[in-house]
Amino acid sequence: MGASAMSVGRGGRLAFAALRRVVAAVGSVLGATLLLQALVGLAPGDAADLAANDPALRDALSAAWGLDEPLLTRWSRFVLGALGGDLGESLTVRPGASVWSLITAAAGRSSGLVAAALALGLGLALPLGFGGARARRLTLVFSAAPVFLALYAVMTGLNEGAWALIEAGKMERPGWFALPDADSGLRWALGACALAWGSSSLAELQAATADELTRLRRAPFVLAAQARGEPAWPVALRSLLPPLSEVAASQVAVTLGGLIVVERALQLNGAGSLFWQACRLRDLPLACGLAAAAALVVAGARLTSDLTRLWLDPRLREAP
Amino acid sequence: MSSARVMTPLLLAALAAPALAGSLRYAEDSAPAIVNPLYSTTMAEARVNELLFGGLYADDRDLRATPLIAESATLNATADELRITVRPGLTWHDGKPLTARDVAFTVETLQDPKTLSTEAGRVDWVQSVSVVNDRELVLKLKRPDPQAIDKLFFKILPAHAFASRPVTRADPFRTKPVGSGPYRLARFGDDNSITFAANPSYPKPLGVSEIVMREVSDKSYQAKLLLYESLEALVRVLPRDLAVLQKSRKVELYPYQTNSWWYIGFNLNAAPFDDERVRQALACMTDVPSLLAPIGTGQTLSGPFVRSSPYYNHDVPPWPHDEGRAAELMKSAGFTKVGEYWSRDGQALTVTVSAHKTLESAQEVVINLQSQWRAAGVKVDVEFLDEAAWKARIWKQHDYDVVLAQWSFDRNEDVREQLHSTGARNFGSYKNAEVDALLDSARASRDPAARKADLRKVHALVHEDAPMIFLWSLDSYSAVSTKVRDVVVHPFAYFSFVSDWKMQ
Repeated sequence: MGASAMSVGRGGRLAFAALRRVVAAVGSVLGATLLLQALVGLAPGDAADLAANDPALRDALSAAWGLDEPLLTRWSRFVLGALGGDLGESLTVRPGASVWSLITAAAGRSSGLVAAALALGLGLALPLGFGGARARRLTLVFSAAPVFLALYAVMTGLNEGAWALIEAGKMERPGWFALPDADSGLRWALGACALAWGSSSLAELQAATADELTRLRRAPFVLAAQARGEPAWPVALRSLLPPLSEVAASQVAVTLGGLIVVERALQLNGAGSLFWQACRLRDLPLACGLAAAAALVVAGARLTSDLTRLWLDPRLREAP
Repeated sequence: MSSARVMTPLLLAALAAPALAGSLRYAEDSAPAIVNPLYSTTMAEARVNELLFGGLYADDRDLRATPLIAESATLNATADELRITVRPGLTWHDGKPLTARDVAFTVETLQDPKTLSTEAGRVDWVQSVSVVNDRELVLKLKRPDPQAIDKLFFKILPAHAFASRPVTRADPFRTKPVGSGPYRLARFGDDNSITFAANPSYPKPLGVSEIVMREVSDKSYQAKLLLYESLEALVRVLPRDLAVLQKSRKVELYPYQTNSWWYIGFNLNAAPFDDERVRQALACMTDVPSLLAPIGTGQTLSGPFVRSSPYYNHDVPPWPHDEGRAAELMKSAGFTKVGEYWSRDGQALTVTVSAHKTLESAQEVVINLQSQWRAAGVKVDVEFLDEAAWKARIWKQHDYDVVLAQWSFDRNEDVREQLHSTGARNFGSYKNAEVDALLDSARASRDPAARKADLRKVHALVHEDAPMIFLWSLDSYSAVSTKVRDVVVHPFAYFSFVSDWKMQ
């Protein structure tokens, strides 16, 4: 009876967490797309201005693309289309191409980079978290450094060094040469490092790990395990995951923002680069589609974090 | 982690392979957004169109109009009807025959308002099209036009390859274009590259088996990639990269003359630029050679044509850099020097110079211009606009004082749109009835000498009215790897003679 009540309570909590995140996701998507429409609308020029010099054609394109409609009409048309599964067509970035196909292709190229950056942040945060205050200061100092300038410097150094060796006949032309033009694992790895470091994921995750470790060192259950002569790390690790998953989820949004800069710097044609182009070329359907997708990814990450915490943290799971 | 460990060496090994023999890679700042000549808006798209499509006429190496898809084009005695015969035996990339019906389809599609084509202006002189048979068609002109044959450069499209009627931007043609040019589209890359393969049915053998368009958004990095042998061609070399490329044994520089000129354009709707004395005074405050020197070499101009043009009026000298004359003109326009600035009605003359962000070297020019005009007593603000803001503020709203910009022309050097009071590109609102009449007369003239005389008069009048300060035409260089031989570049479309290029 008690187990059944606990099971219902846990299922209910999970369902509530999911519902809360779905509502938040819908709100985020609506808010993000409306805000984006308003911001792009405020910027001088629109897609029709870019596509045509002839005033008559400009007006015709403006009417055909609904750019002459009021903000709310334009936005509600986008929302209704999206609800029907139609995100529309790109206007200027890839004229005529389906926004959905552009987003899925770009997201496929970016997802690996984002996942690698977050994994790298988590993977380094754990050992660095044990490093105490000195390691924390060091990470903070590095995070404050101009990461993307450093990235350019690294690429220039690698290119010039490799070219000197190639010219001197001391090295075969490597596959990654020349950065960032050549598509290679090294370019991708540099992107993941820059994203983890530059978007502050590493520093945030390390700080969270260090704080949690400090708390855990004094936690009664850890002290009890140590008193019994049992290893404390399995318990500590399990206790670390819920707070770290929360920080990692909060870092997804920041990492997606960092994607714009990293992809531009490394000529990676993913979602960040596409979003930058869509805004620059006033491609509203594409920019809104990407903003909606980003809002959904962030909400999805938060939902996953909520569920992970509920699953792993007995205090949350069993609280009345 | 383990899959990355396995994949990375494989990836590196695959990428370490050298470029295919006969593969030529060239750089664009921005990849073409669309591969469809109906909707082209950028030079990157024009270059891709040149590889894939042919026109009825094309330039020969001396830049004379020569038939390409057309076998002949004959204008009737009244210059209002053009009979075109299509060359026999031509085929599209998919093997289907190219006929007069395709030419008619192209003209009608360009003209159809529902197509919303950005290139409709290329055939706006055509009244109607009638197909006589598979090889012949007749274009009825809206008004007599002795130069009509010079307008047959628009790209011809295959009627059978378009799924939609009316044609739309979303037509699948944009990803699977079919042309009749020397190259066919092989594939789009994830990195925005486009690979073109030699067209096996092209009438002459091609010396380059594959051309790859690479997107390299950082312009200063393009020259590096050429030196690193990661590219084989740069369309246009930045002046600051010339010296280093000149020193390389692996790169050849090819100078070419463009029909492009830089200018400082005034908004004649905005006071005090509606007063020609103020415009002339600002011209006299401008030391054009000093503005040009830091950004490259070229020829200074006094009017709206390049110096090699038959329409350039060599009797008209550029405005002298003469601060004394500038002061006289400013005084005659009601300005007085208050402190260090020219003022009228208690207001110091303040000019905002707007320039396009992507105009190469514009920053150096604007900063030097600011310094020159400030020294002469004019307050100068500067703004750099991106493409969308440029189109909206300058073209649509005419919300500016002065622009630093460049015009590029095709072989016709038709400045009517820029200088005629009804011209679509006359965003400075320049009006001179005599210039309008001369431009109309030049367009209608059957006699090349009369046309030349008209346009030289236009040159003189526009110089005096100074709606723009004509600056220079820059010397342009393309840089191509020495692995590529027999290179001749076209000043506008670049790849017009690519069928003669050979890879070693």
